[in-house]
Amino acid sequence: MKVKIQRQQSPVSEPYWETFDADVPGDMSIAGLIDHLNYRDDILDENGRKTTRIGWECSCLQGICGSCAMVINEVPALACETFVKDLKGDEITIRPLRKFPVIHDLLVDRSVIHENLKKMNIFIREYQPEDQGRASRKEREHSLQYTAAKCLKCGLCLEVCPNYTNGKNFFGAIFANDCYLVASRNRSKAENIREAYGEHFGRGCSKAFSCMDVCPMEIPTIASMARMNRK
Amino acid sequence: MKDAIIIGSGIAGMACAVKLAEEGVQVVLVSPFPSERSQSVMAAGGINAVLADCEPGDSVECHIKDTMDGGCGIAGKEAVAGLCENAEEIIRYLEKIGTVFSVDEDGHPARRAFGGQSFKRTCYCGSATGKQIVSALVMEVRRLEGAGMIRRRLWSCFHSALIKDGVCYGALLFDETTGKIEAEYADALVMAVGGQNALFGKTTGSTQCDGYAAGRLFRQGVDLKNLEFIQYHPTTLETAQKKMLVSEAVRGEGGRLFYLENGKRVYFMEEKYGPRGNLMTRDVVSREIEATGKDVFLDISFLGAREIGRRIPEVRDLCRKYRGIDITREPIPVSPSVHFFMGGIAVRLNHETNIENLFAVGECASIYHGANRLGGNSLLAALYGGRVAASVIAERPSPAGKRPDFTALTDAENEKLRNLRASKSPFPVMYIRDMAAETMNRELGIVRDEESLMRGLTDMDYYLSIAERIAYDSSVMMYANYSLTGILTLARATLTSALARRESRGSHFRKDYPAANESMAYGSVISFDNGKYRVWLDREKFYES
Repeated sequence: MKVKIQRQQSPVSEPYWETFDADVPGDMSIAGLIDHLNYRDDILDENGRKTTRIGWECSCLQGICGSCAMVINEVPALACETFVKDLKGDEITIRPLRKFPVIHDLLVDRSVIHENLKKMNIFIREYQPEDQGRASRKEREHSLQYTAAKCLKCGLCLEVCPNYTNGKNFFGAIFANDCYLVASRNRSKAENIREAYGEHFGRGCSKAFSCMDVCPMEIPTIASMARMNRK
Repeated sequence: MKDAIIIGSGIAGMACAVKLAEEGVQVVLVSPFPSERSQSVMAAGGINAVLADCEPGDSVECHIKDTMDGGCGIAGKEAVAGLCENAEEIIRYLEKIGTVFSVDEDGHPARRAFGGQSFKRTCYCGSATGKQIVSALVMEVRRLEGAGMIRRRLWSCFHSALIKDGVCYGALLFDETTGKIEAEYADALVMAVGGQNALFGKTTGSTQCDGYAAGRLFRQGVDLKNLEFIQYHPTTLETAQKKMLVSEAVRGEGGRLFYLENGKRVYFMEEKYGPRGNLMTRDVVSREIEATGKDVFLDISFLGAREIGRRIPEVRDLCRKYRGIDITREPIPVSPSVHFFMGGIAVRLNHETNIENLFAVGECASIYHGANRLGGNSLLAALYGGRVAASVIAERPSPAGKRPDFTALTDAENEKLRNLRASKSPFPVMYIRDMAAETMNRELGIVRDEESLMRGLTDMDYYLSIAERIAYDSSVMMYANYSLTGILTLARATLTSALARRESRGSHFRKDYPAANESMAYGSVISFDNGKYRVWLDREKFYES
């Protein structure tokens, strides 16, 4: 099988593609595949030329830290939970997330995510929930807050989003879900948060909801949006 | 004090940072990657606390006793008392900052039963307790970043501490973006770098936690403690890249361990320990699995798809996703794996090391767990330890006089890096790390003896002898290159500590000394004296005061 990877040696150098041969079992993850390519005496491209090892980032290797977000066969996904057997064709293409500056190969700088949340004061500080009435609603809201708080800040939703470009004005689904989490857990901040939400998400979202297709935590952004649109 | 540097931005580091900032201390929070990537997000089970509405009969004293018993009597009683007495306040704090706990009908944190504890006192957030706490703390750090009290320094790695005459003045940091070592000065330095997984290669933890910092600090004169106590989790599922935790909840829900002999299932735990045999403590189950010498399986299929979906959905999903195993129909192949390090940097009650103004918190510090840790106590210790260190730092006056100048040292270390970049040899750094991990797994396993530990030491001495002349590998982060000697040093210190403890206690089991020896019922400290590794028992209880 051929594995085509978009490389970039440094933040300021030009990207280029490099192809490798790999014979790996189907149940290997893409994270495993990159390790397999990297940990040989020498790393060789498909023509047997020696090249440099592939830069990438990992931590938990089980889908709960968001480190290894990348684009695999044009689908933004976590490398540790994407398996060779689930990919079609006999070539795999891997490239870094394009909406963030590349540091090295598949390693990108996603700090804009945190910076935008910081700029807009997205924090709970004091737990003061709104009165949610019926027990069934309470349970539903609690479950939604629990899921929203599982956001990995991996950036897959931003990569796939037709509205997000560089995070200068439209902040994407990550922002919407954190807004919901804060507004629902501190009612005294809800109004301010709604304003920021409208300006940096609500008015710019074209409702393609592709963010929900790629979210590893399966966060229902549409539900967060519905809550934020209620007065 | 006016300012502090914290290395590591997981739960312990963030808890410390927030408390320091609230007390008016300026904080630099250092980690190569954001907090969401830390190992803390992997903590699933929960956090122990005896709350006002605890089960009838439970008490803080009982939590203390359970923790002391779990640690086989060698954790400091005063430290453990502080941990347990402050647990309720910590839960209240986490609630206040908006942590999404699983709650009962009245909205109070729900509690679950955990191994080794006399009552249900483990608060939890579904099966993602660590992640939920990280999310809440990240928001608090964010708030204080906005207020100008915390500065995050990403893409930076710890290199070494700035120490002169037994006092710490900050740290040398390697900045991956500039490729240089820089000095960062502060009144206090707090290490919150997590456990030493990389010593063993594949474990249940994060690839980012490698033990380098402890190894490096050891060479700078910082004492380490109880390194021989390593907790194995008995049931993990192996994949090509790691060992994934199969939660203790599976056994809690009735899961049965067995191996096959002539096509027949042998339920070895039940045969040896009776009907509740599968629920024995982690160290006992791990040793029994190893003793079978066979492939062992954990069966929960009899519970049925519906109940499995209700009670342990995350285990079902994990097995299906990573190994294609349907646990509602087939047993799970399991094996023990390194899971938690009770040992680490030796700290006193105030979380300070033997070097003034140098602190350690979280899993990298050794203080609360003795010879074995109870589930649910590590998140508690991370939060409590972080807050204790912060209070001590905030209250202490800034050091008098001028800070020493470390420019010459910084230049010398940068020169060493330049030489490393130019080095040539047949040994790439990751190979040596893999070989060292192989040695550790083979010679410092669940069951050890003098012979195996001596073999381990011989191997490690060889790796150390070539570590300084590795081939520079430009395609891994610079950190991976310069961290090798520190990691191997810690591995050697761990083997030395295990060799010195000629008894079996808690997670440390010596085939040649299978019983506990009461004359050794103390923490063991290892010091670096002029190139020698010296192990001593803390009989005077220096590290318990």
